[in-house]
Amino acid sequence: MKVSSAKVSKESKGHGGHHKNSLHSKRWSHHSILPLQLADQLDQWSSVTVDMYNNHHQPQTSHTSTSRSSDYSAGGGDNGEPSGTGNKWASRLLKECARAISDKDSSKIHHLLWMLNELASPYGDCDQKLASYFLQALFCKATESGQRCIKTLISVAEKSHSFESARKLILKFQEVSPWTTFGHVAANGAILEALDGEPKLHIIDISNTLCTQWPTLLEALATRNDDTPHLKLTVVVTANIVSSVMKEISQRMEKFARLMGVPFEFNVISGLNHLGELTKEALGVLEDEAVAVNCIGALRRVAVEKRPALIQMFRSLGPKVVTVVEEEADFSSTRYDFVKCFEDCLRFYTCYFEMLEECFTATSNEKLMLERECSRGIVRVLACDDDQDNEGECERRERGSQWSERLKEAFSPVGFSDDVADDVKALLKRYRSGWALAQPHQNETGLYLTWKEEAVVWVSAWKP
Amino acid sequence: MAEESISNGFVMNPVSGSNPPVVAKKKRNLPGTPDPEAEVISLSPKTLMATNRFLCEICGKGFQRDQNLQLHRRGHNLPWKLKQRSSKEVRKRVYVCPEKTCVHHHPSRALGDLTGIKKHFYRKHGEKKWKCEKCSKRYAVQSDWKAHSKTCGTREYKCDCGTLFSRRDSFITHRAFCDALAEETARLNAASSMHSLAAAGNFNYQLMGNPLDTGNGMPQHFSTVFKPISSCNDDAIDQTRRGFSLWMGQASQGQDSIGKSTLTLQEIQQFGSLNPGSIYGDPMVSTSNPPALDYQLNWVFGNKVSSGNAEDHQLTTSTSLPLSNVKENGPQLVSVPSLFSTQHQSHQTPPFSMSATALLQKAAQIGATSTDTSFLGSFGTKCSNSQDGNKYTDLYVSNTPTTTTLGSDLENSANDISTLNQLQMYPAKRRRMQNEDGSGGGGETRDFLGVGVQALCHPSSINGWT
Repeated sequence: MKVSSAKVSKESKGHGGHHKNSLHSKRWSHHSILPLQLADQLDQWSSVTVDMYNNHHQPQTSHTSTSRSSDYSAGGGDNGEPSGTGNKWASRLLKECARAISDKDSSKIHHLLWMLNELASPYGDCDQKLASYFLQALFCKATESGQRCIKTLISVAEKSHSFESARKLILKFQEVSPWTTFGHVAANGAILEALDGEPKLHIIDISNTLCTQWPTLLEALATRNDDTPHLKLTVVVTANIVSSVMKEISQRMEKFARLMGVPFEFNVISGLNHLGELTKEALGVLEDEAVAVNCIGALRRVAVEKRPALIQMFRSLGPKVVTVVEEEADFSSTRYDFVKCFEDCLRFYTCYFEMLEECFTATSNEKLMLERECSRGIVRVLACDDDQDNEGECERRERGSQWSERLKEAFSPVGFSDDVADDVKALLKRYRSGWALAQPHQNETGLYLTWKEEAVVWVSAWKP
Repeated sequence: MAEESISNGFVMNPVSGSNPPVVAKKKRNLPGTPDPEAEVISLSPKTLMATNRFLCEICGKGFQRDQNLQLHRRGHNLPWKLKQRSSKEVRKRVYVCPEKTCVHHHPSRALGDLTGIKKHFYRKHGEKKWKCEKCSKRYAVQSDWKAHSKTCGTREYKCDCGTLFSRRDSFITHRAFCDALAEETARLNAASSMHSLAAAGNFNYQLMGNPLDTGNGMPQHFSTVFKPISSCNDDAIDQTRRGFSLWMGQASQGQDSIGKSTLTLQEIQQFGSLNPGSIYGDPMVSTSNPPALDYQLNWVFGNKVSSGNAEDHQLTTSTSLPLSNVKENGPQLVSVPSLFSTQHQSHQTPPFSMSATALLQKAAQIGATSTDTSFLGSFGTKCSNSQDGNKYTDLYVSNTPTTTTLGSDLENSANDISTLNQLQMYPAKRRRMQNEDGSGGGGETRDFLGVGVQALCHPSSINGWT
């Protein structure tokens, strides 16, 4: 490792990607060498990076780091960053990089990406993890390789997925965090109340929680009162979930329903290119059934311009209740403003990663897998054009208020009863502190789950 | 009246030949079947809800309870005569519910106790003012709420797979996805068949083939039986078992003799000889961790089999009938025969069981005490291959990883290996295929972790099997 600053900038570029995973280093090899004058700019960052670098004890820390740090020690402490805290460095660097990309400042882009690359790690602390996943997305944006990256990520994910691993993952997540169970409890409560007394129920489930919502509903149907209705559950599967997983799930659901003594029918609809293709016939909705449509993290997967049509399609099914659960973030209204979109994306995932960090143990494998699951979403939102067919999926979240505007076109809101609110509160009590239930503002509907006072998940119920 | 009381929901223990226990204790009628001689009182909701019904005739003060009133009356220093209550024999009083739509509104279903009718009225028709802080369950009657609060949150739920839960909702969700579920259904199906057998009062095995009626009749049964999962009283497993003993009791009532409850290997082989492959297309067995049999399953079949003692010869045929019926009607008793027969199966079973069987047989021949760890997840199948039929029941009993009362060592190792197997199902499968020609023990059968068999099994427990 060379000592002079000028040369370092060149050499380190080569080393920059070296001890990262091979994906990164391959990408780096395509890039031009950093201009010499960037060394000055590097100095600006030096104290920040040096302190952070030393503080984080990266596994890749080799002699390269020390030599570099000795180079830049002169710049220590000058730019006002408190040395030694290293807190939230990822946020600053990432935002800077996003701005640089928006401004098309290629040299700045390069060196920021390089810096992030040095500091990021999917196995480190929150900052390092965020840096790692967002770096990937920023890189894809800068090199316009988002599509390719997504394809790779998907194939990797599919290889490692199995029913066992998915089950373990989601059940563990639900055990330590009410992120998903919040929506389940509220939605189930609304569904039970809306369909009370109906003999034939048909629930159309479009969700990403692998049917973990339904055992408690089945149990409630069985024990609530003397007449147990017949339940038909039609699950709409989007491309991600492998069909073998659904097969296992369907078997378990059927068995469990038998155990509970609930007459049950389970159907899976898969192979759709996008949700808008659904029809009443395709879903098998019969005239004498009381229909409920349940969407958990589903609406955001539909392309933004197709969302109104989807809601109209739901209306055409004539449901008694529609329950919607979505995460509270806005990647939709800002989709033409990269920096703004980036900022909210970063805010949301920072909250999510910090939540995971607190809820899981430090060495939890499940936490790691959940973090990895985010990578596709982040790359999609930041680095893929919506016009392209992103494997048929979108991840442009909208806030509850925005969804409400859309849903009001076809439905009117239904408030959650006190009983349901009580159930949710009781649920939250069963988890660690930090979680709370928040009522919406004046003219808004639904309920919010908050984590450390920040709204993270929104649930709502609608009727025609 | 004695006959009436017995038919009113008494559970009889199977006592062969003797008369029902003499009714020395006060008989309990079905709630709301009052003594026809009783005086029917109809109170208005207002009166019912009034807290001070008992009035002192002297000063008019009201009290919630009669005892309190009596205590108060003493303070009035009444002359002797008036101290007594009115001499006329007070007719027994029964009360009807003022709510017109209620079942208990009709005098024939009146309730005998004033407190009872008050509680009923609040519970069914009243506002639920009392709420549990922990679980937000609501109660209309304060004493109910108090009773609940004492036990709320203290109860733990245990799944068949051995995992403990402090939260009911996570227990339920886990249960639905748990591999142990497979066995539960088998037990249920078999037991419910027993139930219908008893009801029918004959040994028509064809009944077993009837589609499981999940209409309103059955669900009640299941819900009640599985309430222990959700109720706050006892350990879920225990009560479920009790529930089944209940059914067993009823079943045996309808039969002439209970006979032996253990299955001999021969009988099992008869079961096993039926080709399971054609009977069930249920991939559940191949994918889920082959569950060890709970000994209760044994009870079920023990009873069924033994009741057919007189027709032993027909046993094979008669049981084959319902099983083939099962084929048409869908996999009902699916898991049960498969559990028995996996060790005997032939070409049509999933490769997993096939090689397991082949190796087990080989292992049995060699009399090896070591086992391939890939089989340890299928304790049931392994042990069932024992030559000693008498030990069968014991083997099953001691093998179940879910039975907490038995063989804790065994259980622990079973749990570990089951979990391991679960996680490594696919590599393990392949391994077994390869080892088909190998011996039961030895280097080839090192498990996927590269650990030798002994490390994972407690030698003592293994030795106990042979």
